[in-house]
Amino acid sequence: MLDRIQFLLGEGFLALRRNGWMTFAAITTVAVALFMIGSLAYAYSLAKGQTNNMTGLFEIRASVQDGTSQAEISAIAKQLRAVPGVKSALWIPRDKAWAKYLADNPKHKEFAEVGNPYPDMFKIVLNDLKKSKAVVATVKKTKGIKPDEVKYMSDLARLIVGLQGIVSWLGFVFGGMLFITAGILIYNAIRLTVISRRLEIRIMQLVGASFLTVRIPFYIEGFVQGALGGAISVHLLYAAQTVINRRVPQLITNMELPSFPWGLFFATLPLLGAVYGLVCSLIAVRAPLRYR
Amino acid sequence: MGQPYIGYENAEVRYTEFVYGLRNATLSIERGEFVFFVGRTGAGKSTLIKLLTREVRNTGGRVTLNGRDLTDMPDWSVPSLRREMGIVPQDYALLPRKRVWENVAYAMRAVGHSRRDVRVRVPEILEQVRIGHRADAFPHELSGGEQQRVAIGRALINNPPLLLADEPTGNLDPEHSWEIMELLKELNNKGTTILVASHDMMVVERMAKRTITMESGQILSDSQAGATNA
Repeated sequence: MLDRIQFLLGEGFLALRRNGWMTFAAITTVAVALFMIGSLAYAYSLAKGQTNNMTGLFEIRASVQDGTSQAEISAIAKQLRAVPGVKSALWIPRDKAWAKYLADNPKHKEFAEVGNPYPDMFKIVLNDLKKSKAVVATVKKTKGIKPDEVKYMSDLARLIVGLQGIVSWLGFVFGGMLFITAGILIYNAIRLTVISRRLEIRIMQLVGASFLTVRIPFYIEGFVQGALGGAISVHLLYAAQTVINRRVPQLITNMELPSFPWGLFFATLPLLGAVYGLVCSLIAVRAPLRYR
Repeated sequence: MGQPYIGYENAEVRYTEFVYGLRNATLSIERGEFVFFVGRTGAGKSTLIKLLTREVRNTGGRVTLNGRDLTDMPDWSVPSLRREMGIVPQDYALLPRKRVWENVAYAMRAVGHSRRDVRVRVPEILEQVRIGHRADAFPHELSGGEQQRVAIGRALINNPPLLLADEPTGNLDPEHSWEIMELLKELNNKGTTILVASHDMMVVERMAKRTITMESGQILSDSQAGATNA
């Protein structure tokens, strides 16, 4: 058995060496494709982490109409909490808000004489930025809420949601295109190997080598190309992230970079590459290795 | 009467509506025979051999080997079928960057023999085809006859009861052609059934074996020119 594995591995690695440049091109393209996909995933998670930290983006302030009773306030709170996209709805009485402001800004003591400018209001926290527009519309329509005094940083939220969408779209399109290119390169590399090894293949078929014996070396070739591409990409990503982690805090203070699941990436990218390479090789050898 | 070792019953190979490789070929070959298929290029002699190796599939009639019908044999059975026979191609098909012994060893490893098996069997096979003294030579360092011996040696790795040779003397001078025929005769004397496609009439006549003459995909004559198993 060991003897058999040794023979098949030997043939597989011989196949890899036969078309050095094509193999190199296939591996680097897989690496670049997975690097692109991985770095965009990283950028996406970074952007999402940052927006999660920007509490203002997730908050809507809605003033309540004057003379609203406590029972009505409870009913409004219940209604607001039931709106899809709302994480919580907190009632903030105007006196409490004013007292907090004065406590937080002791230098503005003179404002106390001016009087409390705050209305009674709800602080509504969102759990999904994409639903902010719909939530604002629903809040404005809620009975007991002043529609003109529903405040939300809508433009900035829209911009951030848009940017997140662009990042994920870019990742999907460019990463996908590179991934397909990598697949074509693996396919071509294996087809070239089949051509360069046609004599060996013919001999194997003449003497009655099994289908798998003829094919496995090419499967190994595709698997190794994909796995190497994946392994290179994850190391590149890690190196890039290390540089970002060092540089960004120097440039932007108070910016905390979110933790990234590196363990998962180190395990999945080479595996993803390997499976992809294997699939490409399965397709590449289907027709040319038919027994003749 | 029992079933023949090899049987062609109205075997037909049709490439297009009007182009035939073989037409109504009916033929029986018994175990241990030495048979020549002769005829011009395109006469159908190689097709008869390729039907047995399943390089070509018959479009009509029936082809049997050792009681097994090859007509509807599934593709996945072809490797095991090939291991029951030795095939000697016209162009030798030797790996140029491997030595003589490595060429035979490679084929053995491909069909699943262990390295220990290879170490024992390769020298035996090379001696059997009388090329042991050139075991370390590369194919380009060998004469045509020597290369053909290596190809025959490689065809023997599975100890096949049947050896098929397509124009084994096609690229050889008369002296080397005769050497190869002597070798095939020796294998036949040990019980191997041998089928040879050839257009080298001089050699065929000198061998005085059963000769099947082909023309335009049809069997013209089947003559028992000498003793079946001389």
